[in-house]
Amino acid sequence: MSTVSPAKSAGALYWPVQMRRNIGVRSLFIVVLAFLVAYGVLFPGLFSASGFAKFTQSWFPLALVAMAQAILMLTGGISLAIGATVSLGAVIAATTMAGPLGVAGGAAAVALTGLGIGTATGFIVVRLRLPAIVVTLAGSFIIGGAALLVLPRPGGAIPAWLSDLLAGNTPAAFVLLVAIVLLWKLYLATPLGLSLYAAGENPVGAYRSGVPVDAARVAAYAISGLLSTGAGLFVAAQTGSGDPVIGTAFTLNSIAAAVLGGIGFLGGQGTMRGALAGSLLLSLMISVMFFLGFTPVAQYVAQGLIIIGAVAIPQFRKVQQ
Amino acid sequence: MTAWNESVGGKRALAILRSRPFLTVVIVAAVWIGASFASRGFGAYGHLRYLVELGAVIGLVAAGQTFVVIAGGIDLSVAAIVTVSAISLPLLSWPADPTGLASILAVLALTTVIGAINGLGVALLRVHPMIMTLAMATFLQGLLIIIAGGSAVTAENPLVHWLGNARPAGIPAGIVLWVIVSAIVLTVMHATPFGARIFAMGANPLAASLSGVPVASTTLAVYGISGFTSGLAGVLVLGMNGQGYVGIGDPYLLASIAAVVLGGTSILGGLGTYAGTIPGAVLLVTITALITVVNASPGWRSILFGSLILGLLLLSGREQARR
Repeated sequence: MSTVSPAKSAGALYWPVQMRRNIGVRSLFIVVLAFLVAYGVLFPGLFSASGFAKFTQSWFPLALVAMAQAILMLTGGISLAIGATVSLGAVIAATTMAGPLGVAGGAAAVALTGLGIGTATGFIVVRLRLPAIVVTLAGSFIIGGAALLVLPRPGGAIPAWLSDLLAGNTPAAFVLLVAIVLLWKLYLATPLGLSLYAAGENPVGAYRSGVPVDAARVAAYAISGLLSTGAGLFVAAQTGSGDPVIGTAFTLNSIAAAVLGGIGFLGGQGTMRGALAGSLLLSLMISVMFFLGFTPVAQYVAQGLIIIGAVAIPQFRKVQQ
Repeated sequence: MTAWNESVGGKRALAILRSRPFLTVVIVAAVWIGASFASRGFGAYGHLRYLVELGAVIGLVAAGQTFVVIAGGIDLSVAAIVTVSAISLPLLSWPADPTGLASILAVLALTTVIGAINGLGVALLRVHPMIMTLAMATFLQGLLIIIAGGSAVTAENPLVHWLGNARPAGIPAGIVLWVIVSAIVLTVMHATPFGARIFAMGANPLAASLSGVPVASTTLAVYGISGFTSGLAGVLVLGMNGQGYVGIGDPYLLASIAAVVLGGTSILGGLGTYAGTIPGAVLLVTITALITVVNASPGWRSILFGSLILGLLLLSGREQARR
């Protein structure tokens, strides 16, 4: 370290490490790229400004919940309450933003709710040592119930200018996504972010090496909650109103996107870029089915089949090799 | 004191007193006694019998779930399978089948096959159980809406009607069914080589496989059992309800997992018993009954249910540090 300038050695290390982390998801990137090209050929509208905006808007909430699930799975956790949390974020946005709190106050309420839910869940799972699956399953009832209390039936309103900004013909969703990815990179450089992988891969070893395992895991739950309610806010802006059960499908889709992206269930395996690619693939599939005129019900059936297939085929090849 | 402790009988008695299933029974008894003081009529024989009858449905679903969880997996498709059973049974009826037994057997075969497909995906395609069964649930949900639409279907099946309503010797047929299934499940789980293999697989799949446990076929069987008992629960719930509709099975997903975990079975696999799941199921029904007594809005009911389960988990469901 003393002979080489630190900046140079860090730079020389950074890119090879990043390339090595791509190995597991390289085939996924190729598939996503192929899908994107096919989609662009089928629906040339993608390359207009509004087409691109609409496309990223349909991807954005799924990308957020995939990140929310991935960050938990990296620490060895999981959440079955993502869907309910998205719903709660949506109804809070729809009831506060048009009221006296205004957009800023509403957004703050949404963010605080997400952080609060996440921190509470993380505390219960990590400190009280309860299994994450059961806690979040029970949590999904509590959070879903809270969403019903806030808004018993679809309604509420989002200011029109906000809907136009987030879900109109602007690439705001894409810009936000880039910003969130940059923030994620920044987070990975903080002590808590550095601990994330260690806490998931080998909690006991990490703990003995002085890694703040518990804090890293609770922080992961808090960030996950924030991303989920954020997705809810965006969904509410897309539809212009709130719906207490609008997020239900996100639970399965978030897990599916993370797993498609190569995130392991045991913790410490996978990358966020993989999860994002997985969510993009899933979102592409859903859009293609929509454009091909599948009814929502047939979409359910096809989605179930595709998820199993997409997860199974790479595993199957690995077994055969 | 020491002499009593060192005797074999004393040790066994202590082990039972300290075991999770016993703790769950104590909690159930405490809740029942407390509730019957608080609300008149709660402790009446008829009401408690009704609670156990409702618990039978959860108990049946949770029987398969216990097998799956002990084997190191999880089945998130049980709710969808219960619905499949309750909806396809009224649709499957033949004039040549006056008792209705043939259609029940056909439905049970169908749900067992659905479960076995889950097992196939988990064992051979190596899809994670959570993904496999969630995707199966999504798939079945879509299929059910296509088949049944939004309308409820009425069961004309005499045997199903008997199962849901008859009271041989004053005991509801559903409870009798549950007792029989429990006896079989406990025997298979704790007194057969198959049961031993399940525990071995859940504790350490690699070691089990190296020791000659046929992991693939055992996994297939475990998910098949889960499909079967969920199907049976669907038949019972159809009998008690008279009608099947999309969503009839939905409450049983969380309930089955909660019953398993409240009964002291480790969600990580390899540790547990159905003997704990049985009081776990009764406990859940009791909670639901108490919440109904409170008479709150759906939102509050959902919050109460989730919070009570969380609270009970704190009492009895904590993962011990293992290995």
